[in-house]
Amino acid sequence: MLCGIDVGGTHTDAVLIGPEGIVACAKLRTNHDDLLASVREALSSIVAVAGPRAITRLNLSTTLSTNAIIEGTADPVGMLVSGGPGIDPEAYRLGDHYFVLPGAIDHRGRETAPLDMAAVDAAVAACRAAGLSVHAAVTKFSTRHPEQELALRDRLAGASEFVSLGHSFSGRLGFGRRIATAYCNSAVWRLYNRFCDAVEQSVAELGLSPDIINVLKADGGTMPLGVSRGLPVQSILSGPAASVMGIIAVCDIAEDSVILDIGGTTTDIAVFAAGAPLVENEGIAIAGRPTLVRALRTRSIGVGGDSAITVDREAVRVGPRRLGPPMALGGPAPTLVDALNIQNVIALGDPRASFRGLAAAGEAVGMEPDEVADAAIISAVNHIRSEVAAFVREINDRPVYTIFELLEGRRVAPSRVYVMGGPALALSGLLQDAFSEKVVVPESFAVANAIGAALARPTFSVELFADTAAGRLTIPSLGLSRAVADNYSPAAAEGEAASKLREYLESLGADLTETPVETVELSSFPMVEGQTQVGHNIRVACQVRPGVLAAYKKAVSQSC
Amino acid sequence: MLKAKNTLGIVFFPAFDWAISPTHPERQERLLYTQDQLREEGVFDIPGITELKPDLATAADVARTHFCFPDVASVTTTSHMISAGGAMRAARTVLDKEAKKAFALVRPPGHHAMKVVHGARGFCNINIEAVMVEWLRETYGPLRVAIVDTDCHHGDGTQDVYWNDPDTLFISLHQDGRTLYPGTGYPYEMGGPGALGKTVNIPLPPGTSDEGFLFAVREVVLPLLAEFKPDLVINSAGQDNHFSDPITDMAFSAQGYARLTELLGADIAVLEGGYAIQGALPYVNLGLVLSMAGLDYSHVREPNFDPEAIRQPAKVTAYIEEVCRDILALTRNPKPPKGETAHGWFSRRKTLYYDTDAITEYQTESVRLCDHCRGVVKYETESTRNPLCLGVEAPIGACEKCVEEAYRIYEAGQIKGEYRHLQLIDRVGKHYASYTG
Repeated sequence: MLCGIDVGGTHTDAVLIGPEGIVACAKLRTNHDDLLASVREALSSIVAVAGPRAITRLNLSTTLSTNAIIEGTADPVGMLVSGGPGIDPEAYRLGDHYFVLPGAIDHRGRETAPLDMAAVDAAVAACRAAGLSVHAAVTKFSTRHPEQELALRDRLAGASEFVSLGHSFSGRLGFGRRIATAYCNSAVWRLYNRFCDAVEQSVAELGLSPDIINVLKADGGTMPLGVSRGLPVQSILSGPAASVMGIIAVCDIAEDSVILDIGGTTTDIAVFAAGAPLVENEGIAIAGRPTLVRALRTRSIGVGGDSAITVDREAVRVGPRRLGPPMALGGPAPTLVDALNIQNVIALGDPRASFRGLAAAGEAVGMEPDEVADAAIISAVNHIRSEVAAFVREINDRPVYTIFELLEGRRVAPSRVYVMGGPALALSGLLQDAFSEKVVVPESFAVANAIGAALARPTFSVELFADTAAGRLTIPSLGLSRAVADNYSPAAAEGEAASKLREYLESLGADLTETPVETVELSSFPMVEGQTQVGHNIRVACQVRPGVLAAYKKAVSQSC
Repeated sequence: MLKAKNTLGIVFFPAFDWAISPTHPERQERLLYTQDQLREEGVFDIPGITELKPDLATAADVARTHFCFPDVASVTTTSHMISAGGAMRAARTVLDKEAKKAFALVRPPGHHAMKVVHGARGFCNINIEAVMVEWLRETYGPLRVAIVDTDCHHGDGTQDVYWNDPDTLFISLHQDGRTLYPGTGYPYEMGGPGALGKTVNIPLPPGTSDEGFLFAVREVVLPLLAEFKPDLVINSAGQDNHFSDPITDMAFSAQGYARLTELLGADIAVLEGGYAIQGALPYVNLGLVLSMAGLDYSHVREPNFDPEAIRQPAKVTAYIEEVCRDILALTRNPKPPKGETAHGWFSRRKTLYYDTDAITEYQTESVRLCDHCRGVVKYETESTRNPLCLGVEAPIGACEKCVEEAYRIYEAGQIKGEYRHLQLIDRVGKHYASYTG
């Protein structure tokens, strides 16, 4: 049976799912000082109900890497960066040990200036002097020509316990993103690997022998724990992804729709096109820095149940700040939940405290408490609605590069809004008034995120880049590079990208019938020198889209 | 972390599925490496820089600006409509204050397309800047517009469209027409009788490098812009002055282009030519983008760039200084255009060759010399593709008499029956009509 554990900001949820449905589940408060303790406790609860042999696969999401990066508790990293012409690499400086080295590669992957090895050695020596044990090497256009990054790694051999290479994360372009990705990956490497060691140890101690342990990624897919040890940055921000995967697992979403996860502090919005979640291919931002970490396309807004209400002469506003719990639960300021409380939409804690808070807020501008509450609820609902509309508009406004796409571009037109999270049911009627789409609140969401974690399937993407004029082909994320003949065709490229992706998935132990490979980009450009065509520039991207294991989905689906 | 000092909207439309022919200089590959460079540099991740999707121009947008014979559909493809729509989207961004500046990195280009269109000239079918400007004027009201064309080729199409318009200052810097297509753009071409001095041509000798371009901008362009006081400055940003461009003979660099862009301070830039697709466009476009956004561009340079190797000779410098002096003197004391005046109309005859489509056109352009407005303009044109056709325009701000005259000419043309296709542009009544006899 499949076990899913989602270590969240407030709660750690666990479920065990068999062919007939949910066998066991647990919900406990996350111990932020010891995330491993939360994992161990969640596992113990499951084992207590189902026994240790029941768990055949364990899928895990953790906020460990995210927290370390955001809180700045990760390791210092020795960054070796080579930029060449363009934006000054200093613009992407990260950390205290950032070395810009002479050397350049152009857009076609041609080395236009060699690495200055004397400068490299000086940087390595400086890192050694600073006592650094983890490093990252990033060069511009390394996805087209990884050799300079590989040379930097060789130079670091013996001086480093771990080196992140920029081109290994994605074949997509983005020098600054590559720097941030490699930096974060090395920064959390030690911490994350210790956590992995401890998880494996706990699993053994509890008598579990799962076939595989996977870690959730921000795109809603999984990767094996062993693989994640070298790519810990891919485990960041997997929490919201687990929720979205949970919705997919428990509901049959077939059409364009919007998912709203209304939490305490924020409301997360996700959009589905024809039942599939949209992926942010470029990559997500961590601590304000864009990276190459693929993620589900979500937007987070500062409106949640605990968002503080402010009243002035112009308007009654909800959020974006959270000052504490609702006044009904002893908090310092009136919140959206307090407003719902005095309008009898919910019944929580001490309603008199909610009333006092809203009365005090309205007094200065001469508003009655129930007027403030009404205005606050309407303001929150309208804010959510307008952000959803803006998000959908932004998706439909995304740039296109061909006439075909511009004219035929499929527009996302949501017909349903799925709402989950604490205040979901309370707000559903008001949301229905605000949205023209049908608002649906699925039956139970107590552990939907853990269900999502349990059923998520592996995802991976490869980008293939072939330049037949140069006679070269690379698939950076698989570390592949080889010579190609001048008659190499786009069809051959597509076949090669797909088969290399399948081979990789098989090596991870994935069931290929559950992980369909699709081509998301295929283009070929004639390259001309003078008046003669000298070759083709071919680009292919293949992926396994995030999804849940079909065999188990039936068992957990509810009517919604 | 970088942050744009000037917010910038970029419409990037490489039309990856369109080309004149696979090996034509104006082909898909043109913007491929630019896209790679901008993506790799993370330009679209810089806060304040936004990538925008192009609008799609309509036949009505084109018919407001051009007389297309026999009609708009016959001389355009969807690519042209998206390219013009891309320019419109860029302009909309600035006028709606979504961004301070905008850059339309679109293809195909447009600055060789004239007022009357029978086909493609110099890879251009419709003038995307002109379609954009006239859409702006129709949507946002009257605007004084300065168009500075920094393409290596003379912007003869844009010059022709605005020849009689005193509210549009058109300045073209280009390689001397005696040495390059289209062979026009001399200082004595200064505008029609009602817009004299509003067309300014700065022909530069082959071999002009950064020094010469920046001198011309400082000494001629900037003073003229300051005098004209435009509401909007548009840069027809052709990038074929680059030292590595295969079809021109100039010696401009990416640094030079970025500096020129900074000096010019255009509100909107629209890509024109530029065919050194590997060695120049990625760097020049990056330089332009950073410069427009007010960001540091000092590290943008071509691989193995050696400024000494392309520096202009002293005699070129001396020649440019002289040409610029003469042009400034000429704009203060403009010479009337060549042509004939009869019965209150000024006429000039043009023979035009459409190199891309191999069409020859014979045209008579006549403008009514009116004391109250710019005067109705009439085009009688025939080509190796179309028999005699007529285009009549009552321009923006036309007086009642001129509007009446426009309709009279249009209707008389239909009755006389000597024209195959007749088109009317009435910018006052916003009425656009066509008739096939």
